[in-house]
Amino acid sequence: MSTAQHMDNFDDLFRYNYRPLCLYALHYLQDADQAEDVVQECYAALWEKLQEGTHVLNRKSYLYMMVRNRCLDQLRRKGVPTESLKPYDTYGIIDDDDAQERSQTEARLWTAIDSLPEKCREVFIMSKRDGLKYEEIADELGLSVNTVRNQISKALKLIKEGAVKIFTFLFC
Amino acid sequence: MDFVLKHYQEGKFDTQNAIDRFNKAHGIVQKPRRRVMPWVSGIVAAAAAVVICVFLFRDSNQQIQLMASAEVQEYLLPDGSEVTLAPGSSLTYKKKSPRKTQLEGKAFFEVARDEAVPFEITSDGAFVRVLGTKFMVDAGSSVKEVYVTEGKVLFAKSSDSEGVVLTKDMQATLSQPDAVPVIAEEADVNSLAWQRGSFIFDKTHLREVLETLSDYYNVSFVADDLSKQLSGEFYTEDLDLIISLIESALDVNIVKR
Repeated sequence: MSTAQHMDNFDDLFRYNYRPLCLYALHYLQDADQAEDVVQECYAALWEKLQEGTHVLNRKSYLYMMVRNRCLDQLRRKGVPTESLKPYDTYGIIDDDDAQERSQTEARLWTAIDSLPEKCREVFIMSKRDGLKYEEIADELGLSVNTVRNQISKALKLIKEGAVKIFTFLFC
Repeated sequence: MDFVLKHYQEGKFDTQNAIDRFNKAHGIVQKPRRRVMPWVSGIVAAAAAVVICVFLFRDSNQQIQLMASAEVQEYLLPDGSEVTLAPGSSLTYKKKSPRKTQLEGKAFFEVARDEAVPFEITSDGAFVRVLGTKFMVDAGSSVKEVYVTEGKVLFAKSSDSEGVVLTKDMQATLSQPDAVPVIAEEADVNSLAWQRGSFIFDKTHLREVLETLSDYYNVSFVADDLSKQLSGEFYTEDLDLIISLIESALDVNIVKR
């Protein structure tokens, strides 16, 4: 395979899997910046391997494996006890297969939130992430409670549609 | 959904940003330089080639060496830190540990913060450790020097010897027989003239001004009145211009020797 072809494929591998890998790492690290750093390192390591001419059979699984190992390393370095080296979601421990599988859906969801209209996203995030009440959001942004309610239901609708659309066309 | 929402931050996990970052960081990509600083010496200038030597060892033990041959060079390291190398200086690190570096000569660092992995610079007889900050290390001569412009830096003779902690605008030197660096009472801003591209004087006696210039350009001067004081900023590009500016500002005669 020529170097150019090599890089083409690598570009795809990056585009299709970057965000899912970040979310996968996030289940372990619970920190978006650290997750991004780990995923970057893994792509770099894989890239080097490919440059050296190493044959990597299933690159995607290999990336997931590397991300997992690095997350565990990082948690160990921070002194997290071995029995707690598990992926978590909001409610507690999940297993690794779950985390891998979910990372795809979660990445689509993240993309869908990203592509909401700005105001709509702001209201949605204040409500769902920050847990503010409709009244509080209305106060803060100088909107009526009704507008807040409408924006949130609009966001939910768009996300639902968006996630489906993105799923069909692949995301990047 | 809850998990994503809990962690959602606008603009995070942006694939295009990540690709840009990757392209910039894998291996070493040279950044455009902020300022052109022709080095003083008739021959130098235009043809000055940058040499990046990559010595291939086995896989991750691979060593990377960054060099500045005749001009000041800026590099971006894989961890996001920036290093400005003075002419004739080089920085070496192993690919697997880009934050453990070895310096020959003089360099200015802007270290990307990473609390888990301190940035280390070793040179013959000097050792510097930091988390994230801006500072200069001059390991070029027998007197090692560190100048900090931001953050906090540990400066010692070696990784296991006693050192001093330097913060903003502090400077310390380590002379050959000493075990511990000595902190300067007053930091000399012109230690960074090569990196900043200018000299800064503030009611500085002409005697000191000329000492600074002769250290920098390797020429000596005589003047008829050394007690006068000079203030102002002068670009390093043109020594003759600096001299004539000083002459007219202070009404003195300066002769190169």
